[in-house]
Amino acid sequence: MSAKHHARLPSDIGGDDAGPVDIVDHGMKFWERQANALRSSLSRRKIVKTDELRRAAEELPNYKELHYFEITTSALRTILIEKGHMTEAELKAKMDEVRARFNVPDEMESPLKKGAAR
Amino acid sequence: MTAAGERAREKPQRPSTYAPAPGHRFNVGDHVLVKRRFPPGHRRTPSYIKGKTGTIERICGAFGNPEELAYGFDGEPKRVLYRVRFRQKDVWPEYQGAERDVIEIEIYEHWLERTHP
Repeated sequence: MSAKHHARLPSDIGGDDAGPVDIVDHGMKFWERQANALRSSLSRRKIVKTDELRRAAEELPNYKELHYFEITTSALRTILIEKGHMTEAELKAKMDEVRARFNVPDEMESPLKKGAAR
Repeated sequence: MTAAGERAREKPQRPSTYAPAPGHRFNVGDHVLVKRRFPPGHRRTPSYIKGKTGTIERICGAFGNPEELAYGFDGEPKRVLYRVRFRQKDVWPEYQGAERDVIEIEIYEHWLERTHP
């Protein structure tokens, strides 16, 4: 019997075929920098913990389709809602408000890094 | 002096502790087996190393239990973390590299059992 007979979390992939590895530094998009800064601040103030974020990330049903910062930011959203720091409804209302007053054009996606990507 | 204590005294004790680890069960050089358990939830031991045997390379210290911290608990009591050294050939049956190649993984004490070479 091997580990293959047990359900493994999407992060538990040691020994699996990895396929081609993307070794290009794609830099960070504007939103990724913002989201990462938020996660760092909340971690430093111990509002969220690394292990909680890892657990929330592993539980994402679409983990394998998401990119790194999509995973970490989705996990952050889950934990903040779980701990009652915000509600899903509050988050949606705020996102609608921001989107209405500040529609981020594509050019603002960290142009310096954009040049290096792909 | 217990048998375990004598074994520990005979072994070269490298200055290998990052943080205090009071009451640690294993010492540098001890042979350990990684438990073959597959409980659901956030676990810090990768599946590919379960059931494999290695040796304690160093005692890293005692830290809040990440398997509890992951669910918002305080992580107490702290768990001793070890760096465990495995021969690559023991981990991967088809391993083509050198005999001496090793992989080192940090594993918490509650995932380890004492075993013999």
